[in-house]
Amino acid sequence: MGVNTRTEPVPGHQISVEVQRRLEVDGVLPAKVMRPTDAEDAARGLRLCDLTPAAVVVWGGGTQMRLGTPPRRYDVALSTERMTQVLEYEPADLTCRLQAGITVAELQRTLGEQGQRLPLDPPHPKRATVGGMIAANTSGLSRSRYGTVRDWVIGVAVAYPSGKVARAGGKVVKNVAGYDLMKLHIGALGTLGVVAEVNLKVQAQPQASATVLGHFEASSPAIEAGVKLSRQYLAPAAAIVLDRNALWACGLTADWSWTLALKLEGYAREVDAARDLAARSIREAGGRVEGQDIPSSFWDAARDWSVPDEPDAVLRAMVPLAAMPVLANAMPREGQAMVQPAAGVAEIRLPPALAGSALRRLRAAVGENSQVIVASAPPDAKTSLDVWGPPPPGFAIMRALKDALDPHGILNPGRFVGGI
Amino acid sequence: MGQGRLGTAMETGARDGLLRRLREVVGEQYAFADPYEIRLYQYDASPETALPDIVVIPGSAPEVADVVRLCAQAGAPITARSGASSLAGGTVPVHGGVVITFPRMDRILEIDVDNLRAVVEPGVVNLALSHALKPYGYYYVPDPSSQGACTIGGNVATNAGGPHTLIYGVTVNHVTGLEVALPSGDLVQVGSQKAAETTGYDLTGLLVGSEGTMAIVTKIWVRIQPLPPVQKTLMAVYPDVESASNAVSAIVRTGILPAAIEMMDKLSIQAIEAASHAGYPLDAGAVLLLEVDAIPELAEELGQRMAQVCRENGATEVRIAKNDAERQALWKGRKGAFSAMGRLSPDFYVMDGVVPRTKLPETLAKIDAISVRTGYKICNVFHAGDGNLHPLVLFDAFKAGQYEAVLTIGDEILKLCADAGGSVTGEHGIGLEKRENIRYIFSDDDLEVMQRVRQVFDPHGLMNPGKLFPTDGLEPSPSVSAPSPARRQPMPAGQGEDLWV
Ligand SMILES: Cc1cc2nc3c(=O)[nH]c(=O)nc-3n(C[C@H](O)[C@H](O)[C@H](O)COP(=O)(O)OP(=O)(O)OC[C@H]3O[C@@H](n4cnc5c(N)ncnc54)[C@H](O)[C@@H]3O)c2cc1C
Repeated sequence: MGVNTRTEPVPGHQISVEVQRRLEVDGVLPAKVMRPTDAEDAARGLRLCDLTPAAVVVWGGGTQMRLGTPPRRYDVALSTERMTQVLEYEPADLTCRLQAGITVAELQRTLGEQGQRLPLDPPHPKRATVGGMIAANTSGLSRSRYGTVRDWVIGVAVAYPSGKVARAGGKVVKNVAGYDLMKLHIGALGTLGVVAEVNLKVQAQPQASATVLGHFEASSPAIEAGVKLSRQYLAPAAAIVLDRNALWACGLTADWSWTLALKLEGYAREVDAARDLAARSIREAGGRVEGQDIPSSFWDAARDWSVPDEPDAVLRAMVPLAAMPVLANAMPREGQAMVQPAAGVAEIRLPPALAGSALRRLRAAVGENSQVIVASAPPDAKTSLDVWGPPPPGFAIMRALKDALDPHGILNPGRFVGGI
Repeated sequence: MGQGRLGTAMETGARDGLLRRLREVVGEQYAFADPYEIRLYQYDASPETALPDIVVIPGSAPEVADVVRLCAQAGAPITARSGASSLAGGTVPVHGGVVITFPRMDRILEIDVDNLRAVVEPGVVNLALSHALKPYGYYYVPDPSSQGACTIGGNVATNAGGPHTLIYGVTVNHVTGLEVALPSGDLVQVGSQKAAETTGYDLTGLLVGSEGTMAIVTKIWVRIQPLPPVQKTLMAVYPDVESASNAVSAIVRTGILPAAIEMMDKLSIQAIEAASHAGYPLDAGAVLLLEVDAIPELAEELGQRMAQVCRENGATEVRIAKNDAERQALWKGRKGAFSAMGRLSPDFYVMDGVVPRTKLPETLAKIDAISVRTGYKICNVFHAGDGNLHPLVLFDAFKAGQYEAVLTIGDEILKLCADAGGSVTGEHGIGLEKRENIRYIFSDDDLEVMQRVRQVFDPHGLMNPGKLFPTDGLEPSPSVSAPSPARRQPMPAGQGEDLWV
């Protein structure tokens, strides 16, 4: 089903060379673009692509387009840029229904007017869309406390290559009717369908928040302190351990080897108690508690750090909490490192040329039950990197699900795990 | 006893052949087809019944996989049955075939505090897990009211909820990995298990809540979390359900995140007081029970703030539990609500609709109107915080036509939940009971995609057939029949006063 066997012209709108370049994915350029206005419109477009067949790459804000293996084919860019409406929002229900192309920042602004928020903080919220957050499963730094995307999506409307729109879940926070197909689309990188509408749970903004910084001479005690805190009732909203380079990249110029940064949130009294607990834990682990004068942009910079504008490679390791110390010892010295001890995640940013050896070393160190992936890399570097690593358990089922929902393989072909 | 549905469907020869092969896998005594022995396996906590052909009690995951493979080869339907507390008829083998049950697979395999996980077999009773975790200072959050009888395997299959899932989420939010047996006989592990995340599609999330229609769950990785230091509980009394409902929305708007918000209406209060003297005022139109988790230095403040909001929203009385004994006393009434209904009526039909919180007042008013119009009393005892209604329709199965009338009322209530933007089930599952009602919220296109996903796991429709999907075009429709008057609403063994829905 390569380019040569296509019998129909590629559907969609003609685009200028300039637009074509903007919609490039891993060095591959599309021929056409589609900008549907709603779920039905998207489904009609997909149907045309399926009949052709033409390969579709779905575009939200484009912040995660460096994730995944290069597309096998790419004919049409399907952009959600015209699907940006808040369809329903009832603050007292703590739920909303949105079109998937709305940016995360715009959503947070709408919720913020009512003193509410979505407690997920994907990188670059001004560009990242809710649909993209779902497809790439970008939950941000607070995942150990508030959970991940899967814990907040309560319903979806998805456009499929069949030309149909199918819904799952619904508008209410508790609902077990039918299969939970929301879960299938989260982190699927748009390989099963185009998420067109999303229903979310939201929450009240916390009454208070605070940041505690501790500095350490070595990574292990910092990470262990973070892991220990995550097992407590007063667990921090976010805990990150940064090496000196990552700290600087986040706008703090202190000369500390390793920094444990803790974001505390909750009722005011809880935050007070959590601050005491955090300070005690840092000292017990041999660290030094540092002053409060951090730039307000620090957490934003930390959030965006894993999606750099520079052509760095980013490796992401996902391990059980107890394996965090092992991981710490295997981290490459070159580049920058940010570890989320409470979440069991570590990310390393480094020059692409060094990514291959670092990747092999990390994979060897973390062992089974863990994964190391290339979260971002420039196109030329990807050709020599095993982006996803070995297919996960249950891969045969995943393959079969792909075949069932996208029988002609038109959605993001080749970008996902195991060549899906 | 009414046989209910079709049930037993296999030819004797085929059945005996399969039985022989199953016995080779699980041992002579753990597979049987004796008409008397299999009778126990024809029902669960729903009113429906149907006989299986064979019952198997495997002792390990590889045995389950072999059993599933043999059944699939023989074309025999496979229905999992765990605690059998399903209120939706999920375990009733409407097409006969083989019932697989898990009393021998009830081991907690691992408690791994370092990784905040426990690993269990499907037959572990929900409450047993929390008891086992308590000495470590941790617990497993989802606490269905049936937690003394239902199992983690059943909870996973139904994505069970409970009173305390309001802030922490339901079963799916606490399950990180599964081992499942597929009809092919393969035993597959999916999910991140002990790691935070993994790559690929979230098969764990998909399988949770699939009601045994895709695969048999043989092992479960669950997240555990630290026990809250203090639980502050208060009771607020209202003249009617409307003002109580408005108070629920008001509390949610303040930014306080209660761990539980439960409501009881006038009729329930009367039943509860008659049964357990919990101290709810008999002239109250509605009672709210609110609970918040907090550190000790905050608990008092939160309790006072919630009390204030309750008063501002029309509470005539607010009582804050001062100690654990008072807390237990307040919960006692709520927990005993289910069994207390026996004071009002010989039978009752439990429903499980959901509406957006803000639609509670109008929905309750409409349910009341149905009650007035039909003459059947309807009690409401429910998880108000997340809009999960449990109307209990009171009836007498001895009286001709009453069961049928109650089913019609149930249907009408689910329709109005759906029309209010809600769902036809918040925690009990679709099962057999609501497989037609699912159409109130999903279109043919929605169901067709779900059916395609199901076929990936179960191409021949052998996994718990007759459940979750509407019958037309998909599967043959067994006939519906009334429950036997002799069999009252079943209670899981050893339960009673401390059950609540
Ligand atoms: C008094 C009472 C109160 C209740 N309160 C609540 C409540 O608060 N919240 C709530 O959510 N539910 C409640 N329920 C309903 C019921 O307890 C839940 O649905 C529970 O999760 C069922 O667990 P079980 O072990 O009894 O499963 P079963 O009833 O045995 O089975 C339920 C479903 O799961 C499938 N299944 C069972 N085991 C497996 C397996 N290993 N693999 C695959 N599929 C399997 C079955 O085929 C069936 O479809 C209540 C029930 C009663 C009787």
